[in-house]
Amino acid sequence: MGDFFELQTITKTFGSYKAVNHSTITIKKGEVFSLLGPSGCGKTTLLRIAAGFEQPDEGRVILDGKDITALPPNDREINTVFQNYALFPHMTVWDNIAFGLKIAGRSRSYIKSEVERMLDMIDLEEHAYKKPAMISGGQKQRVAIARALVNKPQVLLLDEPLGALDLKLRQRMLLELDRIHDEVGISFLYVTHDQGEAMSLSDRIAVMNRGHIEQIGTPVEIYEAPKSSFVAAFIGDTNFLESGKVVKQFADGYCNLKLDGFPDVICYNDNNHAVGEPVVISVRPEKLRVSFDEPPDHQYHNKVRGKVEDIIYFGSETKYFVRVQDYRLSVFQQNIHFLLEERQIKWNDEVWISWHGNDSYMLQRYTPEDEHLLAVPDPQAK
Amino acid sequence: MKRSSAPAWTTVLVIVFFYIPTLTLIIQSFNSAKYGGGWQGFTLDWYRKLMHEREVWRAVQNSLWIAAYSTLGATTLGTLGAWMLNRYKSKLQSAHYTLMYAPLMVPEILMGISLLMFFVNLGIPLGLPTIILAHITFCVSYVCFTVMGRLQDFDDSLIHAAQDLGAQWPTIIWKILLPLLGPGILAGALLAFTLSIDDFVITFFTSGPGSTTLPVYIYSAIKKGSLATINALSVLMMLVTFTIVLVSNHFINHKKT
Amino acid sequence: MHHADRHKRPPEWGLTMPSFGWMTLFFLIPSVLIFLIAFRPALPNGGIGEGWSLSAVKSLFDPSYPLVIWRTIWVSAICTTLCLGLGVPVAYYIARLPETKRRWVLLLIILPFWSNFLIRILAWQTLLHSEGPLKQLLEFLRVMDPHTTLLYNVWVVLTVLVYTELPFAILPIYAAAEKFDFSLLDAARDLGASQFRAFWTVFLPGIKRGLLTALLVVLIPAFGTYAITDLVGGTQAEMIGNVIARRVLSDKNYPQASALSAALCLVILTPMLIALFTQRRQNGGAAK
Repeated sequence: MGDFFELQTITKTFGSYKAVNHSTITIKKGEVFSLLGPSGCGKTTLLRIAAGFEQPDEGRVILDGKDITALPPNDREINTVFQNYALFPHMTVWDNIAFGLKIAGRSRSYIKSEVERMLDMIDLEEHAYKKPAMISGGQKQRVAIARALVNKPQVLLLDEPLGALDLKLRQRMLLELDRIHDEVGISFLYVTHDQGEAMSLSDRIAVMNRGHIEQIGTPVEIYEAPKSSFVAAFIGDTNFLESGKVVKQFADGYCNLKLDGFPDVICYNDNNHAVGEPVVISVRPEKLRVSFDEPPDHQYHNKVRGKVEDIIYFGSETKYFVRVQDYRLSVFQQNIHFLLEERQIKWNDEVWISWHGNDSYMLQRYTPEDEHLLAVPDPQAK
Repeated sequence: MKRSSAPAWTTVLVIVFFYIPTLTLIIQSFNSAKYGGGWQGFTLDWYRKLMHEREVWRAVQNSLWIAAYSTLGATTLGTLGAWMLNRYKSKLQSAHYTLMYAPLMVPEILMGISLLMFFVNLGIPLGLPTIILAHITFCVSYVCFTVMGRLQDFDDSLIHAAQDLGAQWPTIIWKILLPLLGPGILAGALLAFTLSIDDFVITFFTSGPGSTTLPVYIYSAIKKGSLATINALSVLMMLVTFTIVLVSNHFINHKKT
Repeated sequence: MHHADRHKRPPEWGLTMPSFGWMTLFFLIPSVLIFLIAFRPALPNGGIGEGWSLSAVKSLFDPSYPLVIWRTIWVSAICTTLCLGLGVPVAYYIARLPETKRRWVLLLIILPFWSNFLIRILAWQTLLHSEGPLKQLLEFLRVMDPHTTLLYNVWVVLTVLVYTELPFAILPIYAAAEKFDFSLLDAARDLGASQFRAFWTVFLPGIKRGLLTALLVVLIPAFGTYAITDLVGGTQAEMIGNVIARRVLSDKNYPQASALSAALCLVILTPMLIALFTQRRQNGGAAK
């Protein structure tokens, strides 16, 4: 499976605002590819360039080896599912789905059979003659997808397609989208700000921030091996240990780090930071283990002592906020034997926190603009 | 995606089309040529002459009095009507709605003629009172629908809340309804005032001797062909209305922020 | 609201009466009166005679009327077409502007129309006057013979009519266009529609209500045009309004004026009432 749909070195400015800066993504045939990022990161602009609604200032759009940069949206074999569905309010569900085929001048019998096939796929046969205002949000969503897919596009673009739905419906629609993708087997370019959607649906994800792409990778790569502090903070929760400095590099890839206001730690040096280089260490809350008893010593394990400041009970798991010197770490613990435990962790308890050196990452320090992404603000921070 | 530039060009052409006659009029009012011919030098003579035309100022007075009374009458009737239409959904309101709506569907000349026939039949002499009655009648509908637009955004639970807190109707009207609906009513009143000041056709058919309004005066002056002073008068009138519009626009903008 | 209905029946009648009564007295009764007077005889020296007569109604078939009625209809129709045809692109353009610019362009469009209606006609008269700037320009360019006049023909009437009615067409179309979801146009393009086709199949149906309002707002006054034809049209461009006015003002033949007015009234009201009632039925009854 080679590269099929490519956005090459795209740059787009609106006035003095650089919406997309020199960004490249390549999507394979049949792949679900997500553009993930906070609002204003440029993901929607990139999608509109892919659809043909915007012309890039620089860069090219390639579909199946053909340069389609200059083609208007109506001449591209690409269809879009819009953020608020953009169903034509004056047409019935049937007419909405048939729109593209009618424009293309297909025969009446072809239109009829194709629209019926689509209605069957989205399971809305009995609503075919209703106007969009008469059906629910989830149904509109399915109509929007059917209306795009009936034209048999090479690529389907989805712009925050689940944004307007409530949580339960969103989860159902995710499964539905997955099923539809398996059925049609074309490439999906999925734009979202919701990491959960992106993680569960995508083959690969591009994380975008302020107009450029921070990292492209599979969901596991993005989550387990973030390349930047932005990616670490934006995808899931994380604890940042700032102002670290590599003091000693071992041959097996691990290194010792010295930190201000935190005990020294050991960490796997993924990105080959040099000795003396300032770095930020990121550890996800679920990788931390909290216990009353001191964990046994282990070559690559870190253990620090702290005091419990806050506890949030979620049912299936509990989140602890533990003060360790200058830092307040958040720790996720699955409640496997919660009520059976002899001694439950309470406020102000002294506890041990431990983690494996391979479960933390050394990253470049985040820029001040991304500071707000720090998961939990520390009330005691100066 | 390139968007067609046709709408932009149409807009520019339309604006040019809108301004050329007005600009010509303004320029001509300073032209010393008597019959508005070619440019024969700048003059303020027409404005000076205008100041001495007694009839103009009589007409201005008439227009203002008529507008004042019509605004008062139409605003009261229209606001009350809008309130009832919004509050009740009955057969009576259905008929009421039709009565309010129908005048908007009738050309001015028909309304003028029918009122003229009505007054003639009843033997009521034409004059300022008949003009005021006519003006109130055509302004009521406009006030009613302007106020109703605002009423539809009005949250009825506010009244229930006020009652719940012990307020009586006079207090509710004074402390809740007027402050919240005031801008809507004011907008309706302003519309009524402008419509009344501006109206020519209905006024023309319902006016009698001595009740000449400004538009009727302008009409007869154009008919007589004494255009020069009328140009000057028009420019002055435009100046007044533009000032009012710009000031109120400015005022509304500032209130919003 | 339900309990208000039950307990406050008398206030509903009492408080509805002022506006209801006023409109009945000064709008409904005079309108009905016109239909009655149409069947009265005219007195030779002006005024309305006793008894009943069909002469005024018969006069509607006067051979000079069909021409005037035909002119009224086609001038109104062309005027409305032009107003909608110009109003749609202008409204579309303004609705797509950024919000801050929109206010100013709208103000620019409305501003000339805050001047008096007659002043606007006068402005055209000044512009097209035999010694006015446009005539002189055309003479200078040798496009026009100095002896012909720009004024007093049906084309001038049409121009001035469009000039006075166009803003009233733009405003309701703009109000609808402003609420239009422009992503629908993107969707149509995305599904293969050309720019023109998207505009035609998606934008125009989307602003249907605004178009309908604009149509009424332009067509009704156009049918009743009186002052414009009177001031810049001359006798060759007369419309029904002028004939009615002449019957009232110079002949004082009130029955004939009434008969003409009643006919005009029927021509306008019949389609309107049909539209109103079908719309009401679609909306499910109660007035809103």
